[in-house]
Amino acid sequence: MAASVLKKVVIEKINEVAAVLMQKGTLIAPVKEEAGANFREIKDPKDIYLDYYNSILSPKMVFFPQMEDFVKYQLAKPKADAKIVEMNLKPAFLFGVRPCDVKSFEILDKHFYASGIIDTYWKARRDNTTIIGYAFDLDKPVDSADFYNTLGIGAADPEGSDIFIVKKDKELLLKGITKKGEALLGELSMLEKADAKDEKYFTDYVKKGKEKKTRFMKVDDKAVAKKYEDIFENNEYWTKMSDACLSCGVCTFVCPTCYCFDICDETIFGKGTRRRIWDACMFTDFTLETSGHNPRTKVSQRLRQKVCHKYSFSVRKYDVISCVGCGRCTRSCPVNIDIYSMVEEATKL
Amino acid sequence: MMSNNPYIPMPVTITKIINEVDTNDIKTFRLTFQNKEDEQKFKYLPGQFAELSIFGKGESPIGIASSPTEPGYVEFTVQKAGVIVPGLVTAALHDLEEGAEIGMRGPLGKSWPIEFLEKKNIVVVGGGFAFTTLRSLINYMLHKDNRKRFGEITVVYGARNPGLLLYKNELAAWEKRDDIKTNITVDKGNESWKGREGFVPNVCKEVAPSPKNTVAVICGPPIMIKFTLPVFYDLKFAKENILTSLEMRMKCGIGKCGRCNVGFKYVCSDGPVFSMAELEELPRDF
Repeated sequence: MAASVLKKVVIEKINEVAAVLMQKGTLIAPVKEEAGANFREIKDPKDIYLDYYNSILSPKMVFFPQMEDFVKYQLAKPKADAKIVEMNLKPAFLFGVRPCDVKSFEILDKHFYASGIIDTYWKARRDNTTIIGYAFDLDKPVDSADFYNTLGIGAADPEGSDIFIVKKDKELLLKGITKKGEALLGELSMLEKADAKDEKYFTDYVKKGKEKKTRFMKVDDKAVAKKYEDIFENNEYWTKMSDACLSCGVCTFVCPTCYCFDICDETIFGKGTRRRIWDACMFTDFTLETSGHNPRTKVSQRLRQKVCHKYSFSVRKYDVISCVGCGRCTRSCPVNIDIYSMVEEATKL
Repeated sequence: MMSNNPYIPMPVTITKIINEVDTNDIKTFRLTFQNKEDEQKFKYLPGQFAELSIFGKGESPIGIASSPTEPGYVEFTVQKAGVIVPGLVTAALHDLEEGAEIGMRGPLGKSWPIEFLEKKNIVVVGGGFAFTTLRSLINYMLHKDNRKRFGEITVVYGARNPGLLLYKNELAAWEKRDDIKTNITVDKGNESWKGREGFVPNVCKEVAPSPKNTVAVICGPPIMIKFTLPVFYDLKFAKENILTSLEMRMKCGIGKCGRCNVGFKYVCSDGPVFSMAELEELPRDF
């Protein structure tokens, strides 16, 4: 760690940093919206909202937007006139991501990037983006829904970020974690050099982050995966868990590791777009086949699919639990279904 | 359009349409490539599928019915689908005429395990419309360059009535050959039907293939599968030596969209071909 660059800047000057990043490409950072914070493209540096806890929607949407256009077409005889939608990406800077969300990118990389056919869109956006992580504020209480400790993630883990930021009173300490991050720090001339005290503060902060307690239970990846294989047909458990579920799908939309999507054609007056849009395994027609057959007609089967996908199938397929304990699904659920409690209950069976 | 993007279809032309059945709702479409590069890249084996694409309607995953031993085109036998939810793509396909352009993405999925099948006797069991990738496999094995790589080939194929049998000309040609034993059956014949009557599981029982060095490849409607599997278990076929092809609703076809998973497997990219031994490992969720 000692060899990597540490810089600092007073918080007010973050506008200057933002201005440079906006000149270099697209800057995406948390902004305050009516319902809470969300990651949005910054048009005015004043909009950056660093005093946030975590965003409502996860920052996965930077790499996996809710809608991604594939093809624009004009229906005609004898054939449609179709054009591939070019991405035309500018370099992107994703600013202010919490450590648990940074971890979610690594998990989704395993799916979109590192196995099987490469997802062109995920890769292009991922390669194009510099991730500037931001430690949770250790002086503030942890949200009661969070359980990232359970997944082995600390409140100030710099791993996975290109640059990692820690708040020190009225200053931000910025550490280059990857070569890409270090290079960018070198280009930001308004940053000051940090001293030895700052170095110690940063290192201590990361360490203290590990001690910041969220809800915690000991979860062994392989054991929990096996447990869910064993109780897959335990209808009593699944019915109890899903009793209140409305199949609204909000848990999957806010989730940083949910990646299911639909591909659909939308045509208006002969002009149309083929695009992918987020979809959810919680919806009744998700698995409805044209024949009329649907393997998951019951809400218990769908919730089972969602939980087992994260805590069992993903371990078997990608060797990782596909959950980072960010607490978004629990916070968003209209009927208070809590995945942490579900896993806790399962381990007792 | 040309692209290395796995979500972008390649343009193909419908050069031949064959109406397969009396009910006019199953047609075979012969597709030829518009770009030479696409044709060269489209290397497939029996058992694989592709997404057929019609802009404005969407995409539909369909098993490849032709054999890679027939170069220059790819064939798909498509049922006009949908009882509860109408099948937009298959209906639109059925309305098209020869000469129309559509899109195709593929080849997708895992094929019948050709290397595993080599030097073995093969029993192909098919029912109704689910005979398409089996036809691909049979034509592949029967090709003069391939025939000696496989042992005895036995086919049991059934449909509800004679009018619903697919590939009637080919069935007749196979029956004349001595390097393939063809057993065609219908649930109920008609005045002109001179062949066998009876359900597929019963015919399998009569044919009674020996499990020795033999693999059974079975595709059909769920009810046929349900009664055919016990016949093969009774004949002492090992679960590793019974192969089938699964169906689930699909979108991307490349293991990304999360729709067709059964347990830790994606039917589109880990299958659709599975052995009964592999299926036994999966949760009952399909």
